[in-house]
Amino acid sequence: MLARSALRSSRTLGAARNGAVHTSKRAASSSSSSADASPFRLNMAGTAATAVAIGSLAWYYHLYGTELHAMTMTEEGLHATKYPWVHKEYTKTFDHQALRRGFQVYREVCSSCHSLSRIPYRSLVGVTHTVDEAKAMAEENEYDSEPNDEGEIEKRPGKLSDYLPNPYKNDEAARAANNGALPPDLSLMVKARHGGCDYIFSLLTGYPEEPPPGVKLPDGLNFNPYFPGTGIAMARVLYNELVEYEDGTPATTSQMAKDVVEFLNWSAEPEMDQRKKMGMKVLVIGTALFALSVWVKRYKWSPIKTRKIAYNPPIQGGKH
Amino acid sequence: MGFFDSISDMLEAALPWSTAEAEAPKEEETKDEESSDKSEEEGSEEKEEEPEEEEEEEEELEDPKEKFEEECKESKACAPAKHHFDECVERVTSADHGKPVDKKHPDEDCVEEFFHLAHCASTCAAPKLWNALK
Repeated sequence: MLARSALRSSRTLGAARNGAVHTSKRAASSSSSSADASPFRLNMAGTAATAVAIGSLAWYYHLYGTELHAMTMTEEGLHATKYPWVHKEYTKTFDHQALRRGFQVYREVCSSCHSLSRIPYRSLVGVTHTVDEAKAMAEENEYDSEPNDEGEIEKRPGKLSDYLPNPYKNDEAARAANNGALPPDLSLMVKARHGGCDYIFSLLTGYPEEPPPGVKLPDGLNFNPYFPGTGIAMARVLYNELVEYEDGTPATTSQMAKDVVEFLNWSAEPEMDQRKKMGMKVLVIGTALFALSVWVKRYKWSPIKTRKIAYNPPIQGGKH
Repeated sequence: MGFFDSISDMLEAALPWSTAEAEAPKEEETKDEESSDKSEEEGSEEKEEEPEEEEEEEEELEDPKEKFEEECKESKACAPAKHHFDECVERVTSADHGKPVDKKHPDEDCVEEFFHLAHCASTCAAPKLWNALK
């Protein structure tokens, strides 16, 4: 708007000058613009300014606009695919048959290297196993008992209150047994890794038969696209029919991986079923109370909302 | 079984959720003794049939994830990724077949191409796989 008015005023100014051209030579020589050159010049200035503005913007974007990646794609690792886990839905619980199968996979496969140190046998009761089964499993292991009369610590069979035994005495022993790599504790693993269930499932089933050509990995490392850096010390462990399920489910690699991941999700979030139920209660009670509060508000406000202010002007005395 | 037990049983059957019990169900000895003869007879028949089925399963058992991902790799959606990966494999392994090595990128690997192909295949296979698994 401002520019347009400026243009218009300068045009009228130019016309006034043109009128003066005829009268004096000095005026004609000093007036730089003729009638048709003036808008061109002004347009030039505008165009140049716009070009500089766009150019500086482009230069700025060129300098600072592009995204920087500190790591290469290989170093980031392949992002895990999203799988439609049933137990992740808001109104679904863990499949306890799958948990039982998953615990079997953990016990027969994973537990030779990975500990599950936050899970006691008692917490399996009612989730994957009955009391008697859990007791029998606990009794298979030996634990330190209280010091006896001579102050020596004897071994005793496990009880329900004992935690699942660690495969190694300590982290150093675990490293020494695994070529320097420490197998992490799996109790909270689903919460501890970006991608959670999807990541662990992809990692377990994602080992290709042979790494893509050109990949050079140090000795003792295996290629897994989902592991950041793609070199993982753990080799592929799950193969078809490694485990024989008691319920007759065909033990394919992906079935075992799915079951064990669901079990690990339970071990990381054993309260999930209760949490969802509680959330549902909160929603139900909350909406009921909200609805009630709306009605109470209407009730309380009804005298104020329905009142009528009437102004009856006093009758002015007499006729005019 | 009392009157209220039967009502609670019916309610339990009708409700969409069920109760989980920590205790193993108590074995009813009398019934077991009676039915033991029958179950043995039935069991022997079943045992004859079972091994044949298992053998068949063992031969056929195939990881559904691998199967679906192979199918997906060949599908039209993953064709560009597969094309790039195959081209990369050919380029990188060309030295093994006596062709001149690519001097610009002597250390090239096919990880990125592999990532794209694997991502495409696993995304495509994910819903099918979950339908196939228990």
